[in-house]
Amino acid sequence: MSAVVAADRGARDLGPVRAHHALGISTGVFADARGAWPDLVEAALGVSRDVVELSAMSYNELPGLLSYLDGRTLPFRYVSVHAPVKGDRVYNVLSQLATLPLWVRSIVTHPDAIDSLPAHGQLTHRLVLENMDDRKTYGRTADELAELFAELPAAGFCLDVAHAWSVDPTMSSAHELLDAFRSRLRHVHVSSLRDGRHVTLRRADEELFTDVLARCRDVPWILEAPLREKADF
Amino acid sequence: MTGADGVKRLEEAGGTQFEQIGAARRLTERRLAERRQQLAALPPGQTAVVLCGSWGRRELTSSSDDDFMILVETPETSLRPSLEEVASALEIVAPAADGAFGEHVHLAHLRDRIGRDGDDNANLTRRMLVVLESVAISGSDVHNRARRELLTRYLEANVRDYRPPRFLLNDLVRYWRTIAVDFESKMRERKGEGWGLRNAKLRLSRKALFAGGLLPVLECHRYQTNEMLDYLDQRMSIPPLDRLADAFLAYHAVDVGIRAFTAYDEFLAILDDPDLRVGLSSVKRGGANTSPIFSRVAELGSVFQESLLSLLFDDATLYRLAREYLVF
Repeated sequence: MSAVVAADRGARDLGPVRAHHALGISTGVFADARGAWPDLVEAALGVSRDVVELSAMSYNELPGLLSYLDGRTLPFRYVSVHAPVKGDRVYNVLSQLATLPLWVRSIVTHPDAIDSLPAHGQLTHRLVLENMDDRKTYGRTADELAELFAELPAAGFCLDVAHAWSVDPTMSSAHELLDAFRSRLRHVHVSSLRDGRHVTLRRADEELFTDVLARCRDVPWILEAPLREKADF
Repeated sequence: MTGADGVKRLEEAGGTQFEQIGAARRLTERRLAERRQQLAALPPGQTAVVLCGSWGRRELTSSSDDDFMILVETPETSLRPSLEEVASALEIVAPAADGAFGEHVHLAHLRDRIGRDGDDNANLTRRMLVVLESVAISGSDVHNRARRELLTRYLEANVRDYRPPRFLLNDLVRYWRTIAVDFESKMRERKGEGWGLRNAKLRLSRKALFAGGLLPVLECHRYQTNEMLDYLDQRMSIPPLDRLADAFLAYHAVDVGIRAFTAYDEFLAILDDPDLRVGLSSVKRGGANTSPIFSRVAELGSVFQESLLSLLFDDATLYRLAREYLVF
């Protein structure tokens, strides 16, 4: 969003991320409540009634999420589920993910968590691949992800701006990712990184990410760490 | 001002191809040529045979309807050809007498009955289709003059330099809202038959039609009053998707535009697939949340709508115009 528009909305002092029309949060932010899905959803609703990512990053979190969502609808307009990528893998995780209600619009996974391309293909359009940070050896750049998308033609793309920054602090790599996969873009993960962990978006990073985020202005942005308070500006 | 190549230029800017849109356009042009040939033997007159809907949007798919109207330019014009003659020449069934296309359409009615009781649902629909999404298969000069006359009438009402023409804008918004309201009414009357397909069209093709009219009207903020008619006439003479593509390009929203058109491209692919189309048509409101094909179309509709909203509200110029003109 342009600075002028932000100013028109009286949002200039909040920064472009806080002013984004479809801003939500990952429930992974609320680590203390992990596994307590009603509490996690309530906390996410406190941030946004439009957008959420239900984070089941560990394999043992998925059954609880599936049980919680069974027969239920949530008030959000855009619901993403972050598929398990940590812990001991279970053999039937994909068939479990396939049972997520159809109003779950995206199922995000990491390239290095994909052990079978054909099996992941069963998630069709709901499968979303996220770019990786510099600690990983695969799935970080446009070239690396292109190999996967060639095998998963229906899959979408989640741009993690902090991961892209870790690979290339000039943000050229982030632009290359958007050049290559803009038509697949479903949503954006927003945060800063410190020691490989997602932390509150720093003001300097927000400014650095502005041009990249402007190319993603029509899709939901999902916070992977709480936003700073106004007093922190 | 740009021509009817907006989609192509957006493809070039994004380094991509909208294959289904291209295929639909090629099919439309081929079928238009056939249709024109079929009507060539009919007696000439001061009428135009005009195809509407997906024909006018150049988005023909394998199951598209043949909605046509016979546009009559002047009251004294003979009502030839008849609906039956045209239908017979085109080898299709004549339109139902109680629909928007079931009788000859008099330009005078479209032009002189804008608003109030005389402007019934059929008249509003016909007028908007002539302006926004129609193509002539005979009498193209009559059709072109009719579109220009209608635009002229809209521009006679208190238009100011560098301001979007409110009369036209209000009628356009009224048309879009009428479509949305009538959708509910039709579904109630038809007990939900065809709900999925009609809902999908509301989310995508009808929205393209509305936005494709809305953006040129807002763009009139660049023109003096004496320039607006030529501008609008040229814009409305090209397909709505080209108008939209031009807007995404003009406002430096290539990424957003690519996502909008990628979604639309897949929507056309679904419409063109007989099995998917039938499956979509069979979806009832109560089953929408459990239908994979409807969920997919709803997702495409969301992407398309969010892209259009981003175009309107995330650019400083369009945001100010939308704020000033779209609510009141």
